[in-house]
Amino acid sequence: MKRYDCLRAIAPRFGDELVVTNLGAVRHEWQALRPHPGNYHLQNLGLTSSMALGLALALPHRKVVAFDGDGSLLLNLGSLATMANQHPANLIHIVFDNECYESSRGAPTATAGQADLAAVARGCGFTHVVTAKTLAEFEEGFQRASKGNDLYFILAKVEAGAGDVPAAALDSQENKYRFVRYIEQSENLKILTSTLSRASDPHAK
Amino acid sequence: MKREVAAEIVDSLKEAGVDFVATLTEANLHDLVMALGEDTAIHHVPVTREEEGIGICAGAYLGGKKPAMVMMNAGFLLSANALATVCMHPGIPVLMLIGHSGGVGEENAGHATVGALTEPVLQAMHIVYEKVGRFEDIRPTIRDSQMLARSSRRPTAIVLNKQALR
Repeated sequence: MKRYDCLRAIAPRFGDELVVTNLGAVRHEWQALRPHPGNYHLQNLGLTSSMALGLALALPHRKVVAFDGDGSLLLNLGSLATMANQHPANLIHIVFDNECYESSRGAPTATAGQADLAAVARGCGFTHVVTAKTLAEFEEGFQRASKGNDLYFILAKVEAGAGDVPAAALDSQENKYRFVRYIEQSENLKILTSTLSRASDPHAK
Repeated sequence: MKREVAAEIVDSLKEAGVDFVATLTEANLHDLVMALGEDTAIHHVPVTREEEGIGICAGAYLGGKKPAMVMMNAGFLLSANALATVCMHPGIPVLMLIGHSGGVGEENAGHATVGALTEPVLQAMHIVYEKVGRFEDIRPTIRDSQMLARSSRRPTAIVLNKQALR
């Protein structure tokens, strides 16, 4: 099972879910499969789970899905404890575990050795934890999580290798503005501040 | 930190519109962290490592919250990469309240190096900051630093010195 196969299997199920992707090929794969202003492609290794947690806490009525990786989560294991304690009922944390730093030429991560991220999630207090080793297990786990009103952790054990997709054209600033404008519009919120020019404001002193 | 200082900071944060705070405590920040935990108008997220808090605050901002991060200067130094990649690169604001251990008046020799590095690192990162030591400066500084964070879409910092923390 490859990460791209997993993403391709679940992409048709997405509606207005908000997605945070990890650094690396996953962002290009997901943008090719589901181009949507509700995709936020993080340019940082480690904080995918934390960004998704902040978003899920801010918008508790919106489903938030994180596409994390083993190398990333290993940098931020403490985030599992924080997520479990905050326990947002609208967050699905998916970790594609290829047991290597794929984007950095493939040196093994700790999960190639003894570490089991699903066991860490359980130990941190996650109650819904799935380890998927086949596409059918992954799809079933995702389907249950997307229907459930709770915090889910899905560890997808995948082979290394990226999908044959073009590079996503979004840069970080453009992605932020598109995402924020989408949230402003879909949630009727004002996030970006703006000020009138004094020249155009008849009441300015 | 005296209870009335903690209460002034919490009230000033609310007046500035802050409704979401991530914290990592320390002896000097204890009363502030506990007060934030008790306040029902602010969502409080105690974190396990400061850079985690920067990520959570950035996510909360994208979801329409007005976040702040409370930590010591050691945690700020730890958060440099998170601030650069998650906040400064895309343009996401976060107001930081940073307790300054190792500054003037510090009796613990172990904090001196972190204390001496704090302001140079803030300056190297081009983060606008204000130092606060007097009670009456707390409210206007929080208001103005939050205003700049929101308008500039960048992190800003308030460095709370020993006088403020006592």
